[in-house]
Amino acid sequence: MIRAEQLTRHFGQVPAVQQLDFHVRKGEVMGLLGPNGAGKSTTMKMLTCFLPPSEGTASIDGITIDEAMAVRRRIGYLPENAPSYVDLDVSTHLQFVGRMHALPSATLQDRMREMAALCGLEGVMGRRIDELSKGYRQRVGLAASMLHDPVCLILDEPTTGLDPNQIVEIRHLIRRLGESKTVLLSSHVLSEVEAVCDRMMIIDQGRLRAIGTAAELAQLAQNGVEVYVRFKQDGERVIERLQRDELDIRPAQEPHAWLIHCADADTALAEQVFYAAVACDAVIVEMRTARTSLEDVFHRITGSAEKET
Amino acid sequence: MSAAWTICRKEWRVMLDTPLGYVVATAFLLASGFFFGKNLFLFGEAEMRGYFEVLPMLLLFFVPAMSMRMLADEVHDGSYELLATLPVSTWSIVLGKYLAVGGQVLMLFLATLVYPFSLVMLGDIDAGQIAASYLAALLLVSCYVSVSLYASSLTRRAVIAYVLGFGLLLGVFLLGETIATLPPLWQDWLVLLSPLSHYERMLRGVIGLEDLMLLLAWTAVFLTLCWFQLERRRWQ
Repeated sequence: MIRAEQLTRHFGQVPAVQQLDFHVRKGEVMGLLGPNGAGKSTTMKMLTCFLPPSEGTASIDGITIDEAMAVRRRIGYLPENAPSYVDLDVSTHLQFVGRMHALPSATLQDRMREMAALCGLEGVMGRRIDELSKGYRQRVGLAASMLHDPVCLILDEPTTGLDPNQIVEIRHLIRRLGESKTVLLSSHVLSEVEAVCDRMMIIDQGRLRAIGTAAELAQLAQNGVEVYVRFKQDGERVIERLQRDELDIRPAQEPHAWLIHCADADTALAEQVFYAAVACDAVIVEMRTARTSLEDVFHRITGSAEKET
Repeated sequence: MSAAWTICRKEWRVMLDTPLGYVVATAFLLASGFFFGKNLFLFGEAEMRGYFEVLPMLLLFFVPAMSMRMLADEVHDGSYELLATLPVSTWSIVLGKYLAVGGQVLMLFLATLVYPFSLVMLGDIDAGQIAASYLAALLLVSCYVSVSLYASSLTRRAVIAYVLGFGLLLGVFLLGETIATLPPLWQDWLVLLSPLSHYERMLRGVIGLEDLMLLLAWTAVFLTLCWFQLERRRWQ
């Protein structure tokens, strides 16, 4: 449904996206993950024909982005921060978008009713957009992007700035949309992508670093063994001792807790940590083999890219 | 064309929903009324020539005010990304905005038709000359709107767009005003190129093809520049 081939975009001399190759299947929800400035929005802007690529090409539903009008009729796009015409009321804004898609009046009215119901906008259709909360504006953007019943939705950070309840609602909505449409959504919130997407790709510094399901990415990053350990006190001396063995160690979220990674899967890492703690007279409160979370995958993939540069 | 018309209607709707449109319209009509009434009551002249002579200067202030947010605000608010990813060409966007501002000024001109009708009640008027003057004013407005829209495409700030638009139009205005002070060879060229000199010729009631063409050419050139600027943004 969405295919990118060697998609590249430079801003002056600065490469924003470099030789991106990926394929999003029909009816799939694909997450586009990456740190800020990774090239997520630029990729989406090229797919929606807002920015032309410097090199390479992409196609939506078999139509290349050179045919901008045909592509734009097939996609629904929610730009970052869901911009809309804030001086208009919701109903007029949706009418404007529908007319731009050349929807006949009767169809437009039906679609507006459907979208208002789907996005929970029935109570605010007559209100000016600048009077609405951020969450409602996001819904207005989503409703506008789906008004012409596109085959493919491209959503740039659809939950940015929403409160936790709104985030859950929008996620449910995207999940429901994913049942009938192809969705490409970008985010730097890993839990969101994990919760909503069938597959995900991680891009960093404009390059595709990994693509697959959450489990496949975890397997990709699970090259070795990892142990989570929490000490009664800070355990700095133990960590110093373990660092001498060239282990990859980073602090975990909890106080006095660490994640220790060894590239060699055959290493008895838990034993090694235990003996190091004994030697340093440190008390271990909790120790377990860590499950590779999406955060770990993200950290390793984007972290290793940083080291390369 | 239908996309341009949809954009135009949306802009009219915004104008009706926001105070800026009313403020500008009221100020224009008050200023118009003042300059029309000055000739009529102070000098006792039952004609509109004086009003049309001051109109280019009046429009210098009002047209940039009506055009300033058309593209600058779109880019600033991010709604341009929404607009440009709808199935609409850049030309339709430019044309829609041009029609929107042009239409607003046309509405204001329609309101000023009360002046010639009031003159009919006071005495004989040269209807042909007044009709030619209105046509000249509309063509000059077309030229001013395209210049102001180009200014609006150059920046993300509406206020800067106003200043740029005013500056560019002042240049166009002075092009006409300084002709007499220049060497003869320059004068010939400037008379040919200045929208104001063609406007003034039309005020005499003579509509020449070259006058129409020149004023329309200014419009076409600046709308093309506006299109070029919007396209350039995508490649930057």
